[in-house]
Amino acid sequence: IWASLKGLVGAKQLERADLEPLIEQLQAQLITKNVAADIGSQICESVCTSLLGTSQQGFGTMRATVRSALEKTLTRILTPSHRVDMLAAAAAAKAEGRPYVICFVGVNGVGKSTSLSKVAYYLKSNGFTPMLCACDTFRAGAVEQLRVHANALELPLFEKGYGRDASGIAQDGVRYAKQMGHDVVLIDTAGRMQDNEPLMRALSKLVTLNNPDLVLFVGEALVGNEAVDQVRGFNKSLSEYSASRDPRLIDGIMLTKFDTISDKVGAALSLVYTTGKPIVFVGVGQTYTDIRNLNVDHCVRSLLKS
Amino acid sequence: MVLADLGSKVADALRKMTRATVVDQTVMNEMLAEICKALLQADVNVAQVKALRESIKKNVDVEALASGLNKRKMLEQAVCNELCAMLDPGKEPYVPKKKQPNVIMFVGLQGCGKTTTCTKYAHLYKRKGFKCALVCADTFRAGAFDQLKQNATKAKIPFYGSYTETDPAQIAAEGVAKFKEEGYEVIIVDTSGRHMQEEALFEEMEQVAQLTSPDDIVFASAFKKKVAVGSCIITKLDGHAKGGGALSAVAATGAPITHIGTGEHIEDFEDFEVKSFVSRMLGKGNIKGLMEK
Ligand SMILES: Nc1nc2c(ncn2[C@@H]2O[C@H](COP(=O)(O)OP(=O)(O)OP(=O)(O)O)[C@@H](O)[C@H]2O)c(=O)[nH]1
Ligand SMILES: Nc1nc2c(ncn2[C@@H]2O[C@H](COP(=O)(O)OP(=O)(O)OP(=O)(O)O)[C@@H](O)[C@H]2O)c(=O)[nH]1
Ligand SMILES: [Mg+2]
Ligand SMILES: [Mg+2]
Repeated sequence: IWASLKGLVGAKQLERADLEPLIEQLQAQLITKNVAADIGSQICESVCTSLLGTSQQGFGTMRATVRSALEKTLTRILTPSHRVDMLAAAAAAKAEGRPYVICFVGVNGVGKSTSLSKVAYYLKSNGFTPMLCACDTFRAGAVEQLRVHANALELPLFEKGYGRDASGIAQDGVRYAKQMGHDVVLIDTAGRMQDNEPLMRALSKLVTLNNPDLVLFVGEALVGNEAVDQVRGFNKSLSEYSASRDPRLIDGIMLTKFDTISDKVGAALSLVYTTGKPIVFVGVGQTYTDIRNLNVDHCVRSLLKS
Repeated sequence: MVLADLGSKVADALRKMTRATVVDQTVMNEMLAEICKALLQADVNVAQVKALRESIKKNVDVEALASGLNKRKMLEQAVCNELCAMLDPGKEPYVPKKKQPNVIMFVGLQGCGKTTTCTKYAHLYKRKGFKCALVCADTFRAGAFDQLKQNATKAKIPFYGSYTETDPAQIAAEGVAKFKEEGYEVIIVDTSGRHMQEEALFEEMEQVAQLTSPDDIVFASAFKKKVAVGSCIITKLDGHAKGGGALSAVAATGAPITHIGTGEHIEDFEDFEVKSFVSRMLGKGNIKGLMEK
């Protein structure tokens, strides 16, 4: 690759042919970090376009230029235009005399219920009394799982067992929390694949009916290209199956199992790039305190590290 | 359909090559590039994709081959063979035998579907006429025993577990001993989820293995090589139009895939056979003819 760049020494306007080999290399690099293939190539293409026609000194600098342009682009993508300040939002809802409602959604086994318990712990540590609301009425043991967390965290649990309509239980739960003065409601939902129409319709119904303050998409850091399908599928279903004219979509992302991926942090990029929504928290283990904010610099460094 | 997206892209690339008037190095490279791109987009591991490309390039010398038809056949065959090779580690999986205890331990990443798959597996062997039982050696995850218990009860399969004992190896040993004594043939041990970086959890898993000396260790979903895995089950293939992670699981564990999970219900479980899987993936009725040289 570098041999073809030898002719570049001296000031020169960058052309596509000069950049292509480098860009291709970076694209391959992003794929090894688990960035979805299409997104990796879109990002590299935009970096390439932004550099066309700028002038360059020598070969070493060109490599640095491309790298730093990519670094800037990645940082910009990963730094959301707006943040989700859960504590401020919950306090604001409380001031209005109503509970702040968060709904956890995502595909099977990604860590929705565990993340919910971590968020419960976080909110409790910050002076709130979140109520856990068991709306996974399908998966065996889902209600008991939440009960274990509620007991361990000494927080209230609202549940109606299995088999019943989840959106109704959520509605009852929110009403109950309001009566009891619980200031946050954390709604656990059953995992579902994004292309399972009946289940996605049911989720859309739950979200439309309860209009939560925050629809939190829970995704695994382990996913590669599938990440894009998942969030697109959830957003599409939430919008298409909604009875509302102004349907609610994913507001933020909780990225789980970050402890299991070493430096393959590509899912963070793919998810944020696709949704334009911030990563509210990162899950880094299986205990209540294993919850962090995304460190954008660290993430960008991991993506660029070869 | 399983891996529909990937399959149709690979099939497209093959078809395009078939339409080219002359099959030369350029046509072959184009086809390979397209197939590799499709594999990468389906989450097949980069190293494996590279290996596939190299292997085909090495095995098929397009320029040296004589007629056009022959070349196409050769290339198509090479692609099919490579996909099959990816899925076939060349080892026979453990097959439970009647009239003896077969202890099967399930391991895998957190949330990959072990507990659900344990019941599916028990249900399958029960239908084949085996006496099956489930042991819950996950003392870690909240609600794990309730989950297994509810699944087992629904499927009418005996189970063993504890709400109070915190040592998984202890429970596993007790459960397995009990069911062995009672003449059970397929005894399945569910364990808690873990990943490569967790040394402590791996030690615990080894302890469970030591105390129960399982006949087979089954990995649910993709995993890194770390302990001697006997077989693989690929879960959640229903949601993944892409799902090429399945193709990578074999390379990661070196163990053959025996079943796939295609849904949350107990019936959503299929036997796995490499050739028919690849042929289904490529949307061909039967590629047996293609496969054999
Ligand atoms: N290592 C690690 N494991 C996690 C993390 N978050 C969740 N898990 C584990 O992932 C597994 C699944 O977590 P759950 O919270 O039950 O997942 P879920 O999305 O609610 O699953 P369903 O309700 O069945 O769809 C459990 O074993 C959790 O302990 C994380 O950040 N790191
Ligand atoms: N769609 C689909 N969901 C599945 C499949 N297999 C399991 N699941 C779901 O995946 C989620 C996690 O499954 P579990 O069986 O709890 O996973 P696990 O590996 O035992 O999880 P831990 O014990 O926490 O590590 C549940 O919601 C299951 O219903 C499958 O083949 N397809
Ligand atoms: Mg759950
Ligand atoms: Mg389990």
